[in-house]
Amino acid sequence: MVLKSESEYEYATELHDDTRRSLLRHMLVARGLDEEAHRLQKQGGLILWASGQGHEAAQVGSALAVGPEATVFPTYREHAIALLRGVAPDELLAQWAGRTFCGWDPYRLRFFPYTLVLAAQTLHGVGYSIGQRLQGREDFVVVYVGDGATSEGDMSEALNLAAVESASVLFVCQNNGWAISKPAEEQMRTSVAERARGFGIESVRISGRDPETVFSACSRAAAHIRGERAPYLVEIQVGRIRGHTTTDSQEVYRTRDDIARSVAADPVTSYAARLSGLGVVDTAWLDGVEAEVREMRERLMKEYA
Amino acid sequence: MTSTVETSTVRTPTFAESINATLADLLEHEPGLLLLGEDIGRLGGVFRVTRGLRERFGAERVRDALLAESTIVGQAVGMTMSGLVPICEIQFDGFTYPAVNQLVTQASRIGYRWNGQVSPSLVVRIPTGGGFRGVEHHSESNEALFARYPGISVACPSTGEDADQVLRHAVTLGSPVVVYEPIRLYWRRDTPVRDPEPARSPTAARIVRRGTDLTIATFGAITHEVLEAAHDLAPDVDVEVVDLRWVAPLDMDTVLESVTRTGRLLIVHEGSKDVGIGAEIAAEVAERGFDTLRGPIRRLAPERRVYPPANFESEYLIGVQEIKDEVLVMTK
Repeated sequence: MVLKSESEYEYATELHDDTRRSLLRHMLVARGLDEEAHRLQKQGGLILWASGQGHEAAQVGSALAVGPEATVFPTYREHAIALLRGVAPDELLAQWAGRTFCGWDPYRLRFFPYTLVLAAQTLHGVGYSIGQRLQGREDFVVVYVGDGATSEGDMSEALNLAAVESASVLFVCQNNGWAISKPAEEQMRTSVAERARGFGIESVRISGRDPETVFSACSRAAAHIRGERAPYLVEIQVGRIRGHTTTDSQEVYRTRDDIARSVAADPVTSYAARLSGLGVVDTAWLDGVEAEVREMRERLMKEYA
Repeated sequence: MTSTVETSTVRTPTFAESINATLADLLEHEPGLLLLGEDIGRLGGVFRVTRGLRERFGAERVRDALLAESTIVGQAVGMTMSGLVPICEIQFDGFTYPAVNQLVTQASRIGYRWNGQVSPSLVVRIPTGGGFRGVEHHSESNEALFARYPGISVACPSTGEDADQVLRHAVTLGSPVVVYEPIRLYWRRDTPVRDPEPARSPTAARIVRRGTDLTIATFGAITHEVLEAAHDLAPDVDVEVVDLRWVAPLDMDTVLESVTRTGRLLIVHEGSKDVGIGAEIAAEVAERGFDTLRGPIRRLAPERRVYPPANFESEYLIGVQEIKDEVLVMTK
């Protein structure tokens, strides 16, 4: 089954160069942390790591678009959003090193703990939004799920609950095409976006290769939610560059070509090249971010190796 | 003691009326508390336990939920994160299972996962048990399932007064509580008399009949059959009856103190025997009070089998006569 994607730049509007640099900087930092986490896991410093490589544009674009007031209910792969929200790198790795179940302050950052039982957090997110609204407080919530989790009953229940309660919830589905080893075409007969419309929730399906597309689509979605006080779903097609987690060997079930395509469509390197080409960033700026990433990795190595 | 049944003409509230009054009082005094369940608003619940509450407190606080148990408990978990105190109702014990994941992997662990930043006072009321000619799935006793999970407290009150104390405690506990309400007690009025002795604490067991020859530890609806048997056996055998009220955590101190006095222990419950609450109590008493026993600990509970169709439930359930027979065997 080939799902038709809406044009990559359909929603792209001219973003301010500061916003573009911010998008790229967060993506580069997230990639650096992800690489370091893999290294630390190999060395035994981390028990497990669920890579977010390939998801950076989707995560950074959506999180910057909704702004800091929205409360985020992540699954367990939203590392770029965690960093963007102010989770310190060592706090982010703490649970993957067996030190805690959550290394950060969820309320202060409005970035709630990772949930490992798939889609369980979708109902929490809707319930939290309803609870906030009942108390006259900010009720904007962003719930993240992967494509695999959309098969869980809780996801369908959460969509229906959000629809009938007209809850201010943005559902963001990062569809990387794989539920560990089961490909998307074997998981569903329609897109997740189409499914949402069946529940009465407006939705859009976009490519997650370009953070500006994501930013624009999620800005519109957020405006819809705030304006209509109704939920919205954004399905973002991303490529999965690494395995499901460090325990996975995706070479067993994915063809070399398929993996190569995901690597070639790397959102981080392509966005860096694009902004360089446009003159939005220069070598000095990139060197500055690289130095920041290097320093972060050294600190993590000291803490976890 | 010879009286078997309360003969007073003073109209005391039924179990259901007591719970209704408690919920109304909690809603009145706790602005962050709300009720959530199927048909609890417009209809007042299938057992009318929440009758009148929607009219009094509004549809936002007495919420008619979608017909999905995971949705009920899952959204309640999110509501606790926003600072609210949800009291959920599951319509029947046999429909609890779709909510088990949200209760076990989420509600019970939220406090720990959040490093204590969230203390979810989340109550799930579940009508339970048989003896009222229910259809399939309407007569089960699944309290032992939740008693297994750390982080969840399980209460099985057998009177309106106890339900009141349990509910008031549960909404302040800061961790989830499952409260089992026996269906066959909701509207029953002719219940056997019990000692008015108060419990030591809201979570303690209650000695509802003082006796010297044998202790029966029990909980839930069958407490009344146990009391009836105990009254019938007097004065030949003087049975002490401990109404546990909570099965997780268990108030083993009260049980052990009672066994120290009587030297004999029978455990009676409506849920099936294997790997049940009785097994845990027996093991605890064997470990901590073996030298106080004058004979073997016994359990009286249904065998491990599916709850049968209504025409056969009297064969499944433990009755007054069986309790009396068992006591006589143990004390002969």
